[in-house]
Amino acid sequence: MNRRVFLLSGVAGLASRAAVAQAHRPVRVACAADLKFAMDEVAEAFRRETGQAVEPVYGSSGNFRRQIAQGAPFEMFFSADESFVFALADERLTIDRGALYAIGRVVIAIPTGSPLKADPSLFDLGAALRDGRLGRFAIANPEHAPYGRAAEQALRHQGLWEAIRTRLVLGENVAQAAQFAMGGGAQGGIIAQSLALAPQLARLGSHALIPAEWHEPLRQRMALLRSATPTAHAFYDYVQSTPARALFHRYGFVLPGE
Amino acid sequence: MADRGARARGLQVELAQAGPIPLDARFECVAGELLALVGPSGSGKSTILRAIAGLYRPGKARVTVNGEHWSDSATRVHWPPYRRRVGLVFQSYALFPHLTALENLTVAMGERPASDRVDRASRLLSMMQLEGLAQRRPGELSGGQQQRVAVARALARDPDVLLLDEPFSAVDRATRHSLHAEIISLCRSLDLPVVLVTHDMAEAALLADRMVVLDRGRTLQQGTPEEVTTRPETEEVARLVDVTNVFSGAVSAPTLEDGLPTLDWAGLRLELARRPEATEGSPLRWAIPDGFILLHRVDRPSRGQRENPVACTIVAMAATGQTCQVRLDPIHAPGQWIKLSLPLHVVRRNGLVPGLGITVSLLAEGIHILRGDGWPAPRGP
Amino acid sequence: MDWQAFTISFQLGLATVAVLLPLGVLVGRWLAYSEFRGKAFVETLFALPLVLPPTVLGYYLLVAFGKASPLGQVWASLTGNSLVFSFEGLLLASIIVNLPFAIQPMQRAFEAIPQDVRDAASVSGLTALAALRRIEIPLAWPGILTGLTLTFAHTLGEFGVVLMVGGSIPGETRTAAIAIYDRVQAFDERGAGLMAAVLLVISLLALGFTAMLSRKAGGRRG
Repeated sequence: MNRRVFLLSGVAGLASRAAVAQAHRPVRVACAADLKFAMDEVAEAFRRETGQAVEPVYGSSGNFRRQIAQGAPFEMFFSADESFVFALADERLTIDRGALYAIGRVVIAIPTGSPLKADPSLFDLGAALRDGRLGRFAIANPEHAPYGRAAEQALRHQGLWEAIRTRLVLGENVAQAAQFAMGGGAQGGIIAQSLALAPQLARLGSHALIPAEWHEPLRQRMALLRSATPTAHAFYDYVQSTPARALFHRYGFVLPGE
Repeated sequence: MADRGARARGLQVELAQAGPIPLDARFECVAGELLALVGPSGSGKSTILRAIAGLYRPGKARVTVNGEHWSDSATRVHWPPYRRRVGLVFQSYALFPHLTALENLTVAMGERPASDRVDRASRLLSMMQLEGLAQRRPGELSGGQQQRVAVARALARDPDVLLLDEPFSAVDRATRHSLHAEIISLCRSLDLPVVLVTHDMAEAALLADRMVVLDRGRTLQQGTPEEVTTRPETEEVARLVDVTNVFSGAVSAPTLEDGLPTLDWAGLRLELARRPEATEGSPLRWAIPDGFILLHRVDRPSRGQRENPVACTIVAMAATGQTCQVRLDPIHAPGQWIKLSLPLHVVRRNGLVPGLGITVSLLAEGIHILRGDGWPAPRGP
Repeated sequence: MDWQAFTISFQLGLATVAVLLPLGVLVGRWLAYSEFRGKAFVETLFALPLVLPPTVLGYYLLVAFGKASPLGQVWASLTGNSLVFSFEGLLLASIIVNLPFAIQPMQRAFEAIPQDVRDAASVSGLTALAALRRIEIPLAWPGILTGLTLTFAHTLGEFGVVLMVGGSIPGETRTAAIAIYDRVQAFDERGAGLMAAVLLVISLLALGFTAMLSRKAGGRRG
């Protein structure tokens, strides 16, 4: 008797899942992790204005580029690095070569209580390395996260990379790096400004903008993928509209055209 | 001599293979007969039972029951066990632990209509003196009760042949005696061939109508218990049936009176009761079962013919319970010990102690010449 | 608190159990009662997911049914979707990964039935199927249920393989375990803590249940 109940619920579960999937397929949008809080707001604004919903999924741009090439069910891709979008476009996985939607900035972020100082010149960081104040320092993984690459470039620019390498804790994407930096695991880190400005993080410590010349520009590009539905198209347009741009601006993004 | 009709009913078994378990067995069992398969551990007795039941498939096999071929390797016939109407009582009982005693029986009654089963199972349980235990699980039954359920389950199948695998090995002495009586009366009332496997020679002799002596899968000798234990054919069989007094000798010229040849045992002439087949002078081995060795009362010399007195010295004595194992060294043949089992009261009454000289009689009817190489093979089963 | 993730986790668990019930019983029984050359190899093969690092498993599964693989392409032509990053792909991976969790307890349960009892069933007129139904499964069911419970619990907790083969697609492949990871990254301590607590309670219940089952199995032998 118990066995039968088990079996039936399993089959019912599968069937219901399939039914739901058919009836209401959400518009999934792959978003670079630095967009975590900004994109939530933009999506909410879009819903309020048009009644249509998109579902942002956050992760590292490099990961998404791989997953999309493998056929992951996304309709749009917001990358933190143009080259990923171009690569997908070359593979004919996007409908066109997309559009630049924002330019990102990195900050050094220090949680309250850390022995480090939010010094944008990174001199304090260097001093901390030498005098032993530094335990661990968080950045995103430079291999596939654009913000991690930018962090590495900035550290190299200041001649700190070789010394700090062994002290780094790498986040799988810049949001995880932010969690490591501000959540108590490390003494600080270099993360996306858009994350540092979000209220959830801003109250955990302080941050300072790192000069944009110290790293390659974080040109964030978006593109519609082959499976894009009308809703996705609508969102694509919305992101370039004034209210959306204002939202991005609040999160510290530099907008195309500025 | 047995009529064709009776032989066609009953069990006929022929099994042969070289390995992995060597087999070379051939025997029959008619309805109403209790046949014991006897032999030491590893002699293949259980394998033979399993082959009859269809649980084992030897290289060459022919098992016929009431005229039906259950196995016939020549025509590639091998009925699976569930098709054979066989009742098998396992040494470990092998009751279904999750079913009640009643259910253990009804599950074996697949061919009967459901309404019949409970009735018949209840009657079987009563027959085996298990009333009131129908709803108990095997775990709640004693060893003896479990065994009875196992027998009842075997009978529930309405079998054409009943097989019992060492049924008393797990049972204590006292219970064993009462079970013996029950088994005998049960077999009388059923009209089935019953094959019982045991390593206990005494038990086989007690229960069986006929015995088959086995060693390493080979049938060595068959016959009634009396035939097999008093006239073992070979030294091997003698050893297996616990006839331990085996000696060397040769046929020699008869004494004048009745013309029967005598047996020369290390110089001593023993009188025989039957004409031997061996030629005079050729060396042979002979045996005498315990029952034909009589202790002389110390004060009374032997008289009468065919009593073969032998003077000995008591070498060793070992008491086991109410009997005493005595070893005697014949004066004419030192070293060829006679082994004897005597009740303790006889030992005491005669004041037997090691070193004492006594005389025993080797009764001529018990002296049996063993078959050796070159002898003609025995006739028939 | 991500209820959708729990729903996916439960659906995945139940579906895996539904497939592995007949599969586990048949394979477990086959391994328990057959002797053949290469049996040790087959048993090792089924046990592999127990010791392989989940990412190794995930990697090979990706190779086996990613976009470029024959299986992936067949699936894509049949359904228009990719097998990876879909619930169905996750289910397939989950079945493979849980084979030893289902098979081993079931195999042990069948092995524990004495050969004599099985012979007695045969000799009492039961065909192989009847013996399976009336003797073997009633005696083996604690082990069968243990296998299913372990499978279910293990599916709920599986992370590495799910992440690699499924990604973390909400509503599709984001299971509860993945969602906890996601909540932490999103600085949602409360959500993460709540979900972790629920999974902890479920795991404890599963362990308690299997412990009770093994006591029941032990008692029966008496």
